[in-house]
Amino acid sequence: MIRTLFPHLIAGWLLLLPLSAGAAEAAWAQAQARALWKHETWLDLVHYKAGTWPGTWRSHADDPAFFLSAQGRQDPRAELQATLRAFAEPAQAGDEHAQCRFVARLDWLRNELDLGELPQPDCAAYREFRQQVQATQAVLVFPSYYLNSPSSMFGHTLLRLDAGDAEGGSEYLSFALNFGALVDPDDNGLFYAFRGLTGGYTGQFEVDQYYKKIRDYNRDENRDIWEYPLNLDAAEIERLILHLWELRGIDFAYYFFDENCSYRILELLEVARPGLELSDDFPITAIPIDTVRAVQRAGLVHDKHFRPAHGTVLRQRITALPPAQRHWIKVLSAVPERLEDAELQALDEGTRAQLVDAAYKYLRYTQTGAARDPTMAARSYQLLRALQQQAAALPRDAPAVDPGASPDLSHGSRRLAVGAWSEQGREYLSLGLRMSLHSLEENRTGFPVGAQINIGNLDLRLEDDGQLDLNRLDLVDIVSLSPRDRFFKPLSWAVQTGIDRQWTANREHRVAQVNGGVGASGRVGPAGLVYALGTARLEHNHGFDDPLQPALGLRAGGLQDAGPLTLHWELGAERFANGQSRTRVDLRHNLRLARHQALHLQLLWRDQRGDDTLAVGLRYQHYY
Amino acid sequence: MKRLVITAAMLAVSTTAFAEAPGGPNCGWGNMLFKGQSGIVPHFLASTTNGTSGNATFGMTSGTNGCSVDGTLTYGGKAMVNNMFDEFSADVAVGQGEALNAVAVAYGVDKQDREAFATLAHQNFATLFPNENVTADEVVSRLEALMKADARLGKYII
Repeated sequence: MIRTLFPHLIAGWLLLLPLSAGAAEAAWAQAQARALWKHETWLDLVHYKAGTWPGTWRSHADDPAFFLSAQGRQDPRAELQATLRAFAEPAQAGDEHAQCRFVARLDWLRNELDLGELPQPDCAAYREFRQQVQATQAVLVFPSYYLNSPSSMFGHTLLRLDAGDAEGGSEYLSFALNFGALVDPDDNGLFYAFRGLTGGYTGQFEVDQYYKKIRDYNRDENRDIWEYPLNLDAAEIERLILHLWELRGIDFAYYFFDENCSYRILELLEVARPGLELSDDFPITAIPIDTVRAVQRAGLVHDKHFRPAHGTVLRQRITALPPAQRHWIKVLSAVPERLEDAELQALDEGTRAQLVDAAYKYLRYTQTGAARDPTMAARSYQLLRALQQQAAALPRDAPAVDPGASPDLSHGSRRLAVGAWSEQGREYLSLGLRMSLHSLEENRTGFPVGAQINIGNLDLRLEDDGQLDLNRLDLVDIVSLSPRDRFFKPLSWAVQTGIDRQWTANREHRVAQVNGGVGASGRVGPAGLVYALGTARLEHNHGFDDPLQPALGLRAGGLQDAGPLTLHWELGAERFANGQSRTRVDLRHNLRLARHQALHLQLLWRDQRGDDTLAVGLRYQHYY
Repeated sequence: MKRLVITAAMLAVSTTAFAEAPGGPNCGWGNMLFKGQSGIVPHFLASTTNGTSGNATFGMTSGTNGCSVDGTLTYGGKAMVNNMFDEFSADVAVGQGEALNAVAVAYGVDKQDREAFATLAHQNFATLFPNENVTADEVVSRLEALMKADARLGKYII
């Protein structure tokens, strides 16, 4: 049978080959005449970026499966030629045929060139994908800052594709397009951070239902989500989905700072709307919120929507209740039977229903991240039953949760600072560059309460003799002050590492150090916050006889907002293993001049070398 | 001997799967209410890395993963109820909400019938959720029985 078929197959090949191959060569001649491989769309579709040497190219895709030419990764021309040839190959390959795999390339080349009569492979897998993934609207989604995870502290971005009319609820079934690292669940956090920074992870696009993202962010991680609907039209969304299919299972190197989730989303948008230039603005870092702003500036965003975290909703429900009744929330969540108490029965129906609602939400909130507990499940069910019976008394339309200022309205992520200082009779100027993102006392618009997220802060000093010297370098400087109250009991913590200057044995030394602390914080009035942390520090200081010294200490402070002025005070005390001790009073005043400008006055008193020292500095800060 | 051990092991695996998953062997619709998570530590990496472990999913939900699809709710719809079971139960309790609406959309319930769908589910809360150990699969089949018996919503269950 095979023997008899074989000659026929050969004959078929010989008949087919010259025809399609001829068409491919004709198309290639047209492409050559126009040097089509230099076209921006081609460069975008294959993710080429200009190389260091002028005229050289390199694709960000890190996967041989993405290229049809062996030189494709560096050679846009060879890749275009190979693509045209592969399109003309016999149709038998089916799903593996270049026409089935590179649907966006095919779509674009059909428009640009006369491809002639191409073979028609059966693209079953692609058809199935398109049956599932349809969209009339694209939305840029920003799950907000999450300080408890190194990978999410700057937030995250993904795209959502809505099918049909996106009215309440159907977004659950929308598709989320997410670029993320493929991680090994056995890696620990530190290892993750290291590999993430150095490109040790491979990243891929993932397409999954949006409700899973809602669950992950709103519930499991308790993060607010901001959604920015985009004005991509039908043809643009079509291009986006076509290209998305080409990226299925394709590896990209994942770099935490630049070639990250947000960067790849920008590239997708560039393919969707030819002529957009978004990703070129982010050569060093692609901080998610900056990429959101870039998309806004390009005129793609036409709306904003807030999807509150479970904790945010719970807080709002608690605040909506009269203060005198709020204790019932905890009582009911612990003992649902207390609903029968005469005192509670005497309350009006509406308040009672709201209490049950808040008690249910509170109980569920306390179980976030915990395994199923039969007692808790039984209690939750009791409250849910009670809620169902009293639901009619709930305010018909629950008051909307106040989202505060959206994160895109925050001050710029990078900061330039120029300052003048006086310390122990010496004057110097300071020049500072901070790569990211926000300090406690800075303009809090668009940032969560009590969050400080600084990575890469360099401060130089220029002495009056003209000498330039390092003032401080913070590689990582993160503080998370989450106020505790009756209902919420989060920990507050801080981590910092870098180089700073310390007076030791009557001389100022540059020291390398890492320090951290854990404690608690609470609210004072409507605009105040106080905190106290137990701290540990490891310092390498040549002023010590034995340079490497650990220390234990305490730090306590407060933040107070007064209009455009924020005051941040802190007291610190530390004792080193070698017996040396340090005391410190730090006063910082930050005056907001405009969204991207501030004046910063700092007074730092330190007692750590026998004599005490006082430094006073005034700094102008510009954010961009 | 080796074969015997393997057979025994497979048998053990499949019986556990039967015991745990009403949707069929190896089916993941057996979530009970208030399932929670197995622990925060593995979760820390699995979901906070913005990444996925293992194979990245790519929008293909029509496969059945060994789960029976006997009702009218598609595989994707059932998976959603299973994943958002707590949100869904809370929405049914108050009679409105996005999770409840999303289930209506998954059933193809027209806009003008969504209110009726929400009311039906809300009023029959005790039938749908008789206790805290009810599974997503059981709730789906009860919901479909209720819809089928309803004059207005019966047409969505064929």
